[in-house]
Amino acid sequence: MAAPARPWSPEELRSDALPKREIIRFLQEQAAHEFLAQHKLLGQIKNVAKTASKDQLIAAYDQLFETQSFKGTESAEHVTEEVKNVKLDEDKPKEAKPEEAISEGPPRYTKSILKKGDKVNFPKKGDVVHCWYTGKLQDGTVFDTNIQAGSKKKKASKPLSFKVGVGKVIRGWDEALLTMSKGEKAQLEIEPEWAYGKKGQPDAKIPPNAKLFFEVELVDIE
Amino acid sequence: MAKEEFRDVIQRCQILNEEDFKGEDFDHFQAAGKKCLEEGYIAEVLEIIQNEKNKVIIKSMGWNLVGPLIRCTHEYKENDIERDRCKKILDKLVEFCNPKELVLGFLEQIEQTSKEQMSQTVLLLLKPLQEVLLKLHRNKAYSIGLSLSTILNQLSLLPVPYTAQQVQEDMHGLCRCCNALTDFVNPFVDEVVRHMETSDGGCKDLKEELLSFCLKSLKYPLLMAELEELPEETIKHPLRQFAADILGILLDIRELIPKVFPQHGCKNQIWDNEGLVEIEQEQSADSLACLSYIVFVQDFGMNYFPVVFHPSYILQCNMVHIQVLLERKEESVLSKGLDLLESCLLRLEDNSLFLQYLEFRSFITIPQDMVKLMTLCPFEPLRKKSLKLLQLYINKFEEEGKYTLFRCLLKTSNHSGVEAYIIQNIKNQIDLSLKSTKSSKCFTGLQLVSLLDAVLSLPEGAETDLLQNSDRIMASLNLLRYLIIRDNENDNKTCIWTELTKIEQNFLKPLHTGLNMSRAHYEAEIKNKKENRRESHTSKTVCSVTVAGGKMPTMTSEMELQVLQSALFTFDLMESVLARVEELVEVKTKIAAEANTGVK
Repeated sequence: MAAPARPWSPEELRSDALPKREIIRFLQEQAAHEFLAQHKLLGQIKNVAKTASKDQLIAAYDQLFETQSFKGTESAEHVTEEVKNVKLDEDKPKEAKPEEAISEGPPRYTKSILKKGDKVNFPKKGDVVHCWYTGKLQDGTVFDTNIQAGSKKKKASKPLSFKVGVGKVIRGWDEALLTMSKGEKAQLEIEPEWAYGKKGQPDAKIPPNAKLFFEVELVDIE
Repeated sequence: MAKEEFRDVIQRCQILNEEDFKGEDFDHFQAAGKKCLEEGYIAEVLEIIQNEKNKVIIKSMGWNLVGPLIRCTHEYKENDIERDRCKKILDKLVEFCNPKELVLGFLEQIEQTSKEQMSQTVLLLLKPLQEVLLKLHRNKAYSIGLSLSTILNQLSLLPVPYTAQQVQEDMHGLCRCCNALTDFVNPFVDEVVRHMETSDGGCKDLKEELLSFCLKSLKYPLLMAELEELPEETIKHPLRQFAADILGILLDIRELIPKVFPQHGCKNQIWDNEGLVEIEQEQSADSLACLSYIVFVQDFGMNYFPVVFHPSYILQCNMVHIQVLLERKEESVLSKGLDLLESCLLRLEDNSLFLQYLEFRSFITIPQDMVKLMTLCPFEPLRKKSLKLLQLYINKFEEEGKYTLFRCLLKTSNHSGVEAYIIQNIKNQIDLSLKSTKSSKCFTGLQLVSLLDAVLSLPEGAETDLLQNSDRIMASLNLLRYLIIRDNENDNKTCIWTELTKIEQNFLKPLHTGLNMSRAHYEAEIKNKKENRRESHTSKTVCSVTVAGGKMPTMTSEMELQVLQSALFTFDLMESVLARVEELVEVKTKIAAEANTGVK
């Protein structure tokens, strides 16, 4: 990989305008794990700043460029140790799983809590959750509910149960349910990307690109 | 004569108590009654049966008349006064006789009736049978179940009408019987529903029987029936109505959703408990597949389903059903399988299925089934549809899934045309990835190289049958030509330039040799044929071909020559693309070499 440019000249390094923290951050971002260990530069920035003098840091800085001990140059086992920093490592192919690939970007839903849950029991991925719900479109049309309301007798009058977090339900549900605790009732506004997207579900009267509004109550977790 | 005999038996018994009736009284009663009915004294029999004084006799002996009475009824046309009398006798029997014996008497008749009279008998007996069953107290659920399964078993001997015309004619009366069956079960369904609301669980047995009736009906006749709506001007489709009715029953007894999504977290059969679910599903696999078809394709009951499931989960749930349907041979079943697959795929957005789904066995076997269908199925519309769906299926996977699918299909299809189709798909994907700004993991670089290895090769080297494989070879050559034109030697995104030596070795060279050999062979063959023709005009038949039982006419030597000639044309075509590829390689490498020396 290409070596980064030197951000500071020797004069700038020595000037008091450049705090030690900045140099340490740069070194930690750019240097190989081995190099940092050798120079005792690992750990939280504020701690390193306490133990290392400015001269030591300048020496390490110069040495880094001399020895070219940048990240990505070290042996394979060290690379795996550094995976958490992998986002800085543009050239390395990402080993991202599909779920992670999509999870970039902000959540495409908002949740407002209507009734607090016990804040103790949260579902984990793969748990079976049971919930009551009502789903509406933007214009207020109820497209689905499992709460018995006289006329809809034929619908099973029991909570909907499913394994959460494993892609059985629309993304907005999967994500939102994982943030809810037992007993919680919440209002969800789900963007189409995390609902039925640009296709919609014509047989369930959900038009293309529809934002969905759900009231969900998490009654039980198994 | 018969009249008198019958009257005698009755008079003798009138003075006896019920418990004093002897075996011979029963025999006499039956024999004389039968004779009366056969000889047409129906009014007289009716009079005797209606007589209050004979109530006790009829109660214990009456059921013996069921058989003769049914046969007698069939003798008369609808609206005949005698037929009406017969029906009145039947009503009286229902009113007076011991229900248990009568149920058995009715079922015996249904079982013994001939195929020709099946629907008539069933239609005649359903209403009385229902009344009698409603009177039962003990073993009611069992008797209802027995009745339903007897009726369905007998009906299953009848052919299912398939075309619109057959449905309308309803020659064997199957459609009418099915619609009458709905009316027959309705009161029992109501009973279950009533008990469900009081939640005392007393109707569990009855519910089981109704469920099993629904599943049986789905397997026969619904699975075999064409359930698409008839064109508007014609009548309402009776079997479609029956399908809707069956769904209604399942919905009423709250079994619809558990049957369609068996895994979704019911306490006693969660989806981890695969053993149990598997046994149950195996036994009713056809029925459940048909049910899913009715729900997802015909849209019945859709508004009762939770609208929170992810489309890919809906597909996943249905794959097992689709597989069951596609493994059958009947046109109506196969087309249901394809329709169900299409409906599930259309819910999904393109490029949205993760690679992980291919770990489910059915996600790999179904595309293979589709390949079988499109190459071997005798029904042309299904072959075409299958091909269309294979493309749709491919489109739904994200890149890695597509890649894996291509590999798998190339390996398993064993059909040059299909392989060509896949290669065309690979080309499209490469094209997309070269156009896109995002770098593709699968359709550039080393991953692509390993896929190209499978494409740019000859299965059996120079000895490969070039005619048999011509589709595939042409597609491969086209792909190679595309890569060489599209990918710059300096960019080498597809690694084609670094792989060129290997490709020449494994593909182009053996192809050259193969072409030369084949051409020589066919040219020699043509020469032979022409000489033979001059020698003798009577051509010997070497072998004969039979297609669908009919012998194909033997080929004239003129036709044989044409076939050989067209083989040569194919070789010409291959050779021209091959030459073009080699020319392109030469030009491009020369330019690159010059550029290099220029730099120096």
